[in-house]
Amino acid sequence: MSTARNIPNDHGLTIRMFTTGLMLVLLYGAVIGLLIYFGISLAVVLVFAAVILFVQYWFSDKIALFGMGGHIVTPEQAPQLHGVIDRLCALADMKKPRVALADTDVPNAFATGRSPNSAVVCATSGLLRRLDESELEAVLAHELSHVAHRDVAVMTIASFLGMMAGMVTRIMLWTGLMGGFGGGNRGNNQGGQDNAALVELGVLVVSVVVYAISFLLTMALSRYRELAADRSGALLTGRPSALASALVKVTGEMSRIPTRDLRSAESFNAFYFTPAIAKNGVSLSTLFSTHPSLDKRLAQLSKIEAELGRPS
Amino acid sequence: MGLFSSLLGKTKPVQSNLDALFALPSASITLQSAAGMSCSGHAGVCFKPPSGQGFEEMQTEVVSLLSMDGTGGLRQQEDSYGYQWLVVEDVDIEQLVTRIHLVNSSLSDAGWGPQLLCSVFGLAELPTPDQAAVAETAGTPPELTAGPGRLLTSTAFLVYLFKRGTFYPFVPQGHERRDTEEELKLKSLVAGDVVVETDLDRWFPLWDLPVG
Repeated sequence: MSTARNIPNDHGLTIRMFTTGLMLVLLYGAVIGLLIYFGISLAVVLVFAAVILFVQYWFSDKIALFGMGGHIVTPEQAPQLHGVIDRLCALADMKKPRVALADTDVPNAFATGRSPNSAVVCATSGLLRRLDESELEAVLAHELSHVAHRDVAVMTIASFLGMMAGMVTRIMLWTGLMGGFGGGNRGNNQGGQDNAALVELGVLVVSVVVYAISFLLTMALSRYRELAADRSGALLTGRPSALASALVKVTGEMSRIPTRDLRSAESFNAFYFTPAIAKNGVSLSTLFSTHPSLDKRLAQLSKIEAELGRPS
Repeated sequence: MGLFSSLLGKTKPVQSNLDALFALPSASITLQSAAGMSCSGHAGVCFKPPSGQGFEEMQTEVVSLLSMDGTGGLRQQEDSYGYQWLVVEDVDIEQLVTRIHLVNSSLSDAGWGPQLLCSVFGLAELPTPDQAAVAETAGTPPELTAGPGRLLTSTAFLVYLFKRGTFYPFVPQGHERRDTEEELKLKSLVAGDVVVETDLDRWFPLWDLPVG
């Protein structure tokens, strides 16, 4: 008897992602409540942060391409790359994004753009050189999953709180420097002055704490979105091992690349397929990483491979 | 997907619309009268074979079903992108469409719908009576006689996108070039019979087609 495909949902991953998102939302609410309680002008901070975030979100594709040195390529310029993406998009029933190439030997790929309608998928020449066809297809399927999951929008929203907390911190520091914290040589109401200074200090501390917490949560969410993209990409191609093989190849190659090239890529880690980390650079602990560890990703992929082989 | 469903990571799998395939014979008749073309008798189904024993068994089953059914040719081939093709040949267009439909429905009913990419039907120009006469006197093989009674060599194709339930024409011209003008002409001719894909971005090229 023929066997049908039966991939169970990964409830654990869904629950973890949902919980992280929920905690971010609760943190939002708590911060807004606190700010109102302390009488800070919420409007100014929110407007400022919103404008910056909006610009960053709206032009995310141009910003990312400019930063990576990527340029859009036509099907005539890169027929093989376009061919693979064409078929993946037809298989996934999604609109085909623009395709870009970045001329660098660092092997990597990224997806950017504010919505699936204005998305860009970029691969580096280093990646095309190193991977074979099925591995390249697996990486592109991972990137297309990011586009379909609207990860740019999701991560932008998630990072909003952190940005806002960061702005509050900065504004407090400025006013602190100019006005003076608890400077007793001004004004006749000594008690009132101290009170105000204490409030300002309180807000500063709170915003630093909020920034730290939101940073950790945002990093956790980013890691879960990466795992989700791994999973979707593997299920789209039906070949999880191709993605696993690509991951091993790419992360193995990273440590062999001359330091100068890698250092220029490090700042853009959040966008990349896998973080471009120099071996002798700062070692990031898992909490601070935008991507899950290689072992974790490989473990998930081999689990999917086993599920595919299992009869229903 | 909307933003909300993206956040939750849920999506509904596409409901296939395989009945759209059965509009092809009437499109073939329209093409005969309007453009002197017809289905060539060659067709194929393209899918991405996933790893795992389950799909291999399914594929063997479908192939044996097809061999029992029709009288035409059948072969399996892998293309340069790692996709598999089941290529069918049948001079009877209705029979051809039925076999293609059988492949698609067997795979999708068993849950392998996500692996199906497209189905391709070859089109060819019907030889004029003059050409047929020349061919007979020259003693060339009977391929060039008129009507769908013989298999013809495809010069154009109608591609059926499984996920969209729509068709689009594809006319390859030489090495990795396509005759867009001819494609748009074909589109206007068959639009009355089959559902044509409205988004031109989705008319992706299929180079190195193993369908004859």
